[in-house]
Amino acid sequence: MRGAGYVWKRVAFAIATVYVALTLNFILFRVLPGSPVSQISRVPNASPEMKKILTQQFGLDRPLWEQYLLYLREALHGNFGISYTNRQPVLDNLVQAFANTIPMVAAGTILAIMLGLTVGVVSAVRRGSATDHLSTNIAVLFYAFPTQFMGMMLLIGFAGVLPSAGMSDPFALDATAWEALLDRLKHMILPVTALMLTLYAENALIVRSAILETLGEDHILTARAKGVPRHRIIRHYALRNAMLPIVTMVAMSLGAIVTGSILIEVIFSWPGIGRALYTAVLKRDYPMLQGGFLFITIVVITFNLIADLLYYKLDPRITT
Amino acid sequence: MTRKPILAFEDLNVWFGVRPDNPGFHVVKGVNIALKPGERFGLVGESGSGKTTTIMAAMGLLPSSAEVSGRVLLEGRDILRDGEKSVAPHRWKDIAMVFQGAMSAFNPVKTVGWQIAEALDVHNVARGAAAGRRVGELLELVGISAAQSARFPHEFSGGMRQRAMIAMALACEPKVLLADEPTTALDVMVQDQVLKLLVRLSQDLNLALILVTHDLAIVAQNCHRAAVMLGGEIVEEGSVSDLYHRPQHDYTRKLFEATPDVFAVARKPEKPEAKRTPAPLLQVSGLKVSYPRPRSIGEVLRRERPEAPLVVNDISLKIDRGEMVALVGQSGSGKTTAMQAILGMVKSRGGTITLNGRDVTGLGMRDWRPLRRQIQMIYQDPYESLDLRFRVRDTVAEPLRIHRIAATAQEREALVVEALERVGLTPAVRYLGRFPHELSGGQRQRVAIAASIVLKPELLLADEPVSMLDVSVRAGVLHLLDELRRDARMGILMITHDLSTAANYADRIAVMHQGRIVEQGPAHQVIHAPEAEYTKALLASIPNPDPDRRLALRA
Amino acid sequence: MSTTTVNQAPDSQSPYGFWPTLRGVLQQKTALAGLVIVAFFVIIALISPWIEPYSISEASCGVFEAPSRAHWLGCDDGGVDMLSLVLRGGRISMIVGAVATLIAIGIGATIGVLSGYFGGWVDTLLMRITDYFLVVPQIVLMIAIAAVWGPSLSHVIIVIGALMWTGTARLIRAQVKSLRERVYVKRVEAVGAGHAHIIFNHIIPQIGPLLVANTVLAITVAIFNETALAFLGLSDPTAVTWGTIMEHAFDRAAVSSGAWWAIVPAGLSVAFLIMGCYMLGRSIEDALNPRLKVSYLSTHFWRLRPLVGRGPDAL
Repeated sequence: MRGAGYVWKRVAFAIATVYVALTLNFILFRVLPGSPVSQISRVPNASPEMKKILTQQFGLDRPLWEQYLLYLREALHGNFGISYTNRQPVLDNLVQAFANTIPMVAAGTILAIMLGLTVGVVSAVRRGSATDHLSTNIAVLFYAFPTQFMGMMLLIGFAGVLPSAGMSDPFALDATAWEALLDRLKHMILPVTALMLTLYAENALIVRSAILETLGEDHILTARAKGVPRHRIIRHYALRNAMLPIVTMVAMSLGAIVTGSILIEVIFSWPGIGRALYTAVLKRDYPMLQGGFLFITIVVITFNLIADLLYYKLDPRITT
Repeated sequence: MTRKPILAFEDLNVWFGVRPDNPGFHVVKGVNIALKPGERFGLVGESGSGKTTTIMAAMGLLPSSAEVSGRVLLEGRDILRDGEKSVAPHRWKDIAMVFQGAMSAFNPVKTVGWQIAEALDVHNVARGAAAGRRVGELLELVGISAAQSARFPHEFSGGMRQRAMIAMALACEPKVLLADEPTTALDVMVQDQVLKLLVRLSQDLNLALILVTHDLAIVAQNCHRAAVMLGGEIVEEGSVSDLYHRPQHDYTRKLFEATPDVFAVARKPEKPEAKRTPAPLLQVSGLKVSYPRPRSIGEVLRRERPEAPLVVNDISLKIDRGEMVALVGQSGSGKTTAMQAILGMVKSRGGTITLNGRDVTGLGMRDWRPLRRQIQMIYQDPYESLDLRFRVRDTVAEPLRIHRIAATAQEREALVVEALERVGLTPAVRYLGRFPHELSGGQRQRVAIAASIVLKPELLLADEPVSMLDVSVRAGVLHLLDELRRDARMGILMITHDLSTAANYADRIAVMHQGRIVEQGPAHQVIHAPEAEYTKALLASIPNPDPDRRLALRA
Repeated sequence: MSTTTVNQAPDSQSPYGFWPTLRGVLQQKTALAGLVIVAFFVIIALISPWIEPYSISEASCGVFEAPSRAHWLGCDDGGVDMLSLVLRGGRISMIVGAVATLIAIGIGATIGVLSGYFGGWVDTLLMRITDYFLVVPQIVLMIAIAAVWGPSLSHVIIVIGALMWTGTARLIRAQVKSLRERVYVKRVEAVGAGHAHIIFNHIIPQIGPLLVANTVLAITVAIFNETALAFLGLSDPTAVTWGTIMEHAFDRAAVSSGAWWAIVPAGLSVAFLIMGCYMLGRSIEDALNPRLKVSYLSTHFWRLRPLVGRGPDAL
């Protein structure tokens, strides 16, 4: 199969990255001077028994390398410890928070990509026109707005009109499934809009410049000589070739998506993984912080791998 | 010859960048060409002569900065009369085009078959299974098996891509085919095949062909008539035989003179043998080079060195002072790698290189440095070989600074001036302060040569020194090398793909093929009485500027 | 590039010179607008201690007082004048952004040049490291690190600087790699020049403009990240930056009080500064990119010269 080597390389790299992240996590929280887990005394409201349990749980009385192996073993079994705040397994907390995050972030990201693609393509093929200037300048403006600023503006602007906190109405206890869904969707409007506006601008700018670059390629001229209609050239030549840099750059902006969703979850009190991380920082809930860090890293690495494989699918020239 | 022209240019003019406050550049000036069905017409000119712009005007593919006047008649109807609207319906259906760079002319992410089928589709020629069959037929027509249609452009070799491009151009059975330098990037043997294909198709399909090229020999061998363009104007037009035997315009004559005739050397008297000295300037024996691929981290840790196939396989060469040796080969023959190895830029895997009696094989970078004064290199592309931010003075003085020659700025300046005058850039003061973009291609190459000889080396390695230059300035640069050989007694190793150039300037020729030297000997002998099959095939594929030679060779 | 690109200038002058670049940049209106915006903010930051109308540590009006003639931008929850806060905050935010960017560009450019110039295992090793940094979500790592070390401005600077260099490294590496293959670099090498000579005379001057563009663009990311970290409470809570001003406002329920003036000035300042930097940086990059100069799919077509009025004689 073409480029099987490439696929395996990317998968191996993803696995290696997860391992590095695991190790980094260990070093960060255990080995570095002042790292929190080694200073159990820092744990808020800990009883002596609790401290003893923790010491045992983390193997703090044993040498570092043994702690490391223990840590790896536990991590592989999905055991990231118990949250200090709600005394639940960290993984359970994270999975639940992640389930809440997915619909909101997915909707925001997909809308942002769709909007970004449309705006970018239109600007690029009408380069220099009034439409191009207008949409590019708007995109630059939105690119420049800090996420939290945009979120707060939406909150002020739509306070009272749309639900602004949480993801469901806590008083609608006997709602039917349909009502619950509607309620959830209503709650999603503001955060999804905020996320979409934060992310679409960068996508639009990326798409625009990627397409502008392909418009100077010789094969566009060949296509014109061949009599291929304009819309077809845009789709099969310009956009199709621009997809390669676009995929790369959207993958590189995964970090921005994570940043954006954390800020938005905090602003709109969305009980997702970003907010869980934020709470963990505030409450010094280190197991949650550690677990959240690892969890998000693994999710991002996974999406990066997907982007790599997509790139491979899009570019027939890749062999190794 | 009373048939009506299929395509005619009438007083065609093209301007670029015309604005109310700016008259712009007049790049095509009153061009008239009439092309009959089945006729092959050559449009010859150097870069910037307006030849490509002329045929792009017929396709209606000029950029938006262009302004056009005159008419382009297709079967008597003016296709330019309503601008884009009136040209567009004829593209590909009536007039098709073959572009120069077939690599970039294909969409890299679609299969070749898809791209040919698209032409059929958008012009309503065929769809679906019928289109698939037609794509197969078209590919077979140009000598590519139909099964290859599912492959991507990058999976084709250069020659195959150009064939596929031709197949695509023929998809809608056009009446006229415009070919813009269709073989420029190709090796001479592949070039020969592609040109033969074009000629055959034009005969079989009664296709009118305009062949745009800078190479008079190609036109002489493949066209009925030709026009020579200079500065946007056609300076002379006629049958290829008339142009060759009875050129009217000085420029035509100059072009023919500058186009080397490989067999002319056979008729020239033998050059006097260079005086032999006991120790040759450069002695290469049994040189082997391979390019190891970059090692992975795992391999570095395991201390493994992956073996790679030999790019240069057991070659031996000798160059004396005052002697020019040509290393001739096609792309991928390993000639450039051999030169890199001689220069110590690439590690050799076997054999010895002796410079001036000293064994330099496997010397480290540091040990090489003082020796670099003796051996200098001239590169192919004068547009690339100069740092564009450096003035001529700084470019030529840089080697002096690197080797800490000349204590004072005045001394250095004197050496720079001397070198510039040596390469014919006189008076040197006029050039010292210029940037590369203020020089012509030939002048740039001379500056590059000046930067090499300012160190007064004994051996010059010249990698395709003229292949990127316009035909008319090539002779000047080659003469300069010849002078350096004769007057300064430098030994010169010239790498070239062009047997004709080698035959005309070198004392000895070594023909390289697939990493090996297949034949080596005095120039006249290699041309006159080739022994290796490869040399014979190479000689047979070189286009000759004399149109009458065609019959003899192609029979 | 092939000769089919008929609308190309006859001279394929490299865009990587200082003057051609500057000229290309200043020809763009966007670049000028960006430059003006950035210059405005830099000047304000320089003179802010002399133009702050009120003290930033003492209350000078009521809690969340709306904008008035005395307090143009109103006041925060502690009755501190907003205009003074935003002026001071800009100063610190920009210092944080600039220092973090310099750290990032320094690391990125060094790694990029070494990797691109030497290639081989140096390249493999450095790029592997870069790939790891690229994949790990930086904001999360920043949160983790800032949470472990505790909130402080210098931690924020170091964390942003130490994690933001990957893009620069990749960009510079690609550029240097292609420069390394340029014939004139090979030529100078064959003349006998050492690596240092080549890097300082032929490589770094060529990537200079690109590095400037990248620096200006990186500042936007640094400032953005600073406000994000501050918003999550990971910056020094006592330091006044645009990020902490917004965090403070959110924390003290400026949103539910409808005190938009506690949020908007800092938010818009960040937005305008980022916009200015982006416009400037982007314009330099565009001026450097020769591939943007040609378009085969223009919406305009070539024209027929009108038969009357302007013939060849008029020229």
